Amino acid sequence: MIYDAAMIPTYICGIVAVYAVIRILTEKKTLKKLVFLNVMNFAITGLIVLSIPDIMVLLAGIAYFVGSTLEANAIASTYAGGVANE
Amino acid sequence: MNEFYIAILSLIALLGVISVYFKKSPFDKLIGLAIMMGGVIPLIVIKGYLDVAILVAIIMPLTTIFILQATGRNTDES
Amino acid sequence: MPGVVLNIIIAALVCWILFITIDIIFRLPEKGGVSGANAIGTTIAADKGSLNGGCMMGNIVCSPDASAGTLLAACGVFVAGIPGGLLAALLVYIGNRICHDPGYAGTTGAFCATFLIAGFGLIGIPADAFIAGMVIAILTIQGVSHPYASRLLTKLWKVRA
Repeated sequence: MIYDAAMIPTYICGIVAVYAVIRILTEKKTLKKLVFLNVMNFAITGLIVLSIPDIMVLLAGIAYFVGSTLEANAIASTYAGGVANE
Repeated sequence: MNEFYIAILSLIALLGVISVYFKKSPFDKLIGLAIMMGGVIPLIVIKGYLDVAILVAIIMPLTTIFILQATGRNTDES
Repeated sequence: MPGVVLNIIIAALVCWILFITIDIIFRLPEKGGVSGANAIGTTIAADKGSLNGGCMMGNIVCSPDASAGTLLAACGVFVAGIPGGLLAALLVYIGNRICHDPGYAGTTGAFCATFLIAGFGLIGIPADAFIAGMVIAILTIQGVSHPYASRLLTKLWKVRA
């Protein structure tokens, strides 16, 4: 792979995403998996926005982040036994 | 650049699919689906289909919420 | 190459201090806002952790707060300058309302982070360094060790309260 100093933020985001996925797969409790899933969401949002600098890409990244946060909220609320939000 | 993206994202999507197949609890299966979509949506973005990516990112949590409303409360012990 | 790494380290420290400060000012560790955040807090507390720090980590998972505001403001400044950061703040506000969170931590964090990142851009630290720095900062809170992180957050919360 060609070494490039301007690509270091992208490499950091990708490595953090893979690390978070491995921690999710080796975790036993469901609610602690959601915390590692949050780390993966941050890293994936960074990867989306760093790919192409365009305003629609920013909207796609924000839509992905808010949607996945809503999903984690619904899973945690239902697992805790309360009513699911929305 | 594109080689790094494709390697990382396809690895994440494959790990998510494997997690969906092997885990027993339904909540763990939903978390596996979330991992899989996290790998797929950036692959749509780097090909340039931005409207499709926004639509998929909005529809994904809605399907999860509908599944959770249909199946009801937590009944398993894990 | 050493300059880029140094920029990312400085950006990670700035982001860590910013979002921890705003979250603690807006009283996030006091209690879980929704029932899922309370469940995550008690689960972390049962696993040799601490309750207040666990509730703050649950709030970060269940609703876009100051950490999400900092990341999205960095993305907005990277794409479109200061107007992009303000657009990100508006969308974080809408996301807060969707997630049934009555607080203003995310919007305030996005506003502060927009002007802070634009200011650091003037002295030579680019916005993509802040994206990587925010990912590293959230990794040190949520991704390495839950008991130590929750105990550290509880110590910081006792300074505030």
